[in-house]
Amino acid sequence: MKKNFYQPIEAVVEDIIEETPTIKTLVLRPKSDFSFQTGQFIEMTVPGLGEAPFTPSSDPGIKEKIDVTIMNVGRVTSKLHNMNKGQIVGIRGPYGKGYSLDDFKRKDVLIVGGGVGLAPLRSLLFSLFSSIDNYNKVVLRYGARTPSDIVYKNALPEWAKKKKVDVVTTVDVGDSSWKGNVGLVTTILKDLPVDLKKAISVVCGPPIMMKFVTLKLLDLGFKPQDIYLSMEKNMSCGLGKCGHCRIGKYYACKDGPVFTYGQLKDIHDIWD
Amino acid sequence: METYFLKAEDIFRFYDRISCDFELYVPVKIEIPSRVKCDYGFSLPGDDYLLKKYSPVRGAVSLDDNTKVSNGVNKEEIVFNEYRTIEPTRTFFTPAKEEICSYFEEETKKPKEKPLALCGIKNCDLFSLKIQDFVFLGGNEPDPLYEERRENALIISSDCTSFKEVCFCKAFDINPHVSEGFDINLSPLNDGYLVDVGSEKAKKIIESIKDILTPATAGQLSAREAKRDSVIKRLQGHLSHHKIPKKDTLQDIVLSGYNSQVWQEQVLTCVECAGCVFMCDTCHCFLLTDERSVENAKRLRIWDGCMFKNFAKVAGGANPLKMRYMRLRNRYLKKFDFFIDNLGIQACCGCGRCIEVCPGKIDIRYILRKLYEEKFLPTH
Repeated sequence: MKKNFYQPIEAVVEDIIEETPTIKTLVLRPKSDFSFQTGQFIEMTVPGLGEAPFTPSSDPGIKEKIDVTIMNVGRVTSKLHNMNKGQIVGIRGPYGKGYSLDDFKRKDVLIVGGGVGLAPLRSLLFSLFSSIDNYNKVVLRYGARTPSDIVYKNALPEWAKKKKVDVVTTVDVGDSSWKGNVGLVTTILKDLPVDLKKAISVVCGPPIMMKFVTLKLLDLGFKPQDIYLSMEKNMSCGLGKCGHCRIGKYYACKDGPVFTYGQLKDIHDIWD
Repeated sequence: METYFLKAEDIFRFYDRISCDFELYVPVKIEIPSRVKCDYGFSLPGDDYLLKKYSPVRGAVSLDDNTKVSNGVNKEEIVFNEYRTIEPTRTFFTPAKEEICSYFEEETKKPKEKPLALCGIKNCDLFSLKIQDFVFLGGNEPDPLYEERRENALIISSDCTSFKEVCFCKAFDINPHVSEGFDINLSPLNDGYLVDVGSEKAKKIIESIKDILTPATAGQLSAREAKRDSVIKRLQGHLSHHKIPKKDTLQDIVLSGYNSQVWQEQVLTCVECAGCVFMCDTCHCFLLTDERSVENAKRLRIWDGCMFKNFAKVAGGANPLKMRYMRLRNRYLKKFDFFIDNLGIQACCGCGRCIEVCPGKIDIRYILRKLYEEKFLPTH
């Protein structure tokens, strides 16, 4: 019998990093070879409970470990949040098409993240950083609901110090200790240090945020084919068979999860 | 293609031969002595057929598994099915609930399944298998369970000699008799069957039962054509009353009808039983789910359906198909937009199983006709 692709491989939860009150990063060590390209997703299994799709947030160049940043929102994710170091999860994949880094070369890369949507973008950032000479510059605009909802708090200032990298963060609602920008992420998309003639943009976040960021980017002059969106649906099989993640003529699991707005713009209700 | 004549009295020898190498399923009738009267004068049969496991005649084959014999169907029950069975053919290739793998440990070698032989498959079912093949053999990788079953299976199709009120294959240019995609085809004729040999696999079997076959005569072949034409003509007469749009308009009308009122109107009687998707021979959606025990947990593949409320819901709570009418519309978009874009054919074979099963009397023929009329025959 051929390899059964529905069967996961084992991975040990090696570390658990608490990013925010509702978001944790699980550091996994797969027991057999596993690699992915930035933007591709995996199916992660809690044995006896079920699976859910996640896009790894770590550097694809690091093979022995995979970080998965998880928000506690559902049945599987709440169980994952209660995991302890040393416990076993299952992973299978990677699935789908990731970010096409070849198209980003010699470009100004604008990355717009919202909330836990920064997770796949962190993986993309690591990929860009590791061959930064290929790109003109990397501009990150990140919005979270409140200061305590910001993920990768320690990494953001580090990234800002890198050459050719520009980082601005905002929160929807500030608190007494917050000295930074307050407002939705669209408010920090003004006066962007990018040259539209050679810029592409990458957006990941909740659907409502992606919708308004896309409209803003179109307004600024980005072409639909230069706006990359992460359309993460409820993929079950990951292989273009189970039918759950259809978007028009595409399946998010097979043709995505990264699409350009150019591919999606004529499809009804893509933000719902 | 080679065609032979098999006498009616030899049909069990034919079945016996098949059941030597295959797990054979044969048609039986469920007695429902009613006829469906249409207001335009047609009176159509209401009987239903099922495929049941065949038990070989004692002595004809070695009986190594007694349970199979006792589970089998009584010979007296076996009939020729005039039209498709109640259940979709896909149940044989992707059962409603099936264990697909264990967790991490090496696959234990499962006992090899005896290959399936399905008798009484109709052309609508064969059309649907194109969709199932595209899904389960195509995509990123072929599904290992489906691939094995499908490749080893023997498809014994047969001509429709009648049709149900809900049948509308011919509206989409699908004939009530086969022309490709089968191994063996049976066409009833007088006191026997014409037997077409459609594959190499079938050829070997036919070779071994040459003693009960005679080459078909020209007269028999033309008699079959006449019978086929007469069924088509009668079916077309029936379909003319339903005004179902032609297949080359389907994608156009479902896309332009996105905001049509028909979805909300027609979904009013929907009770969300998902009978339409489960009885559909082209539907294929499934969910991977895990048995709730940590010890020896198993991964199951169960049928899912886009008429269920949570079909497209994501963990965060967003649901792109939150309203019933959206789910009804989504079903049509999948069938007539997605599949036409990706495979070039609509995911509907005109078998009418969805119409028959629906307790809300939601009728695909009516919805397509409405969408067509709204686009091409607007009233002012």
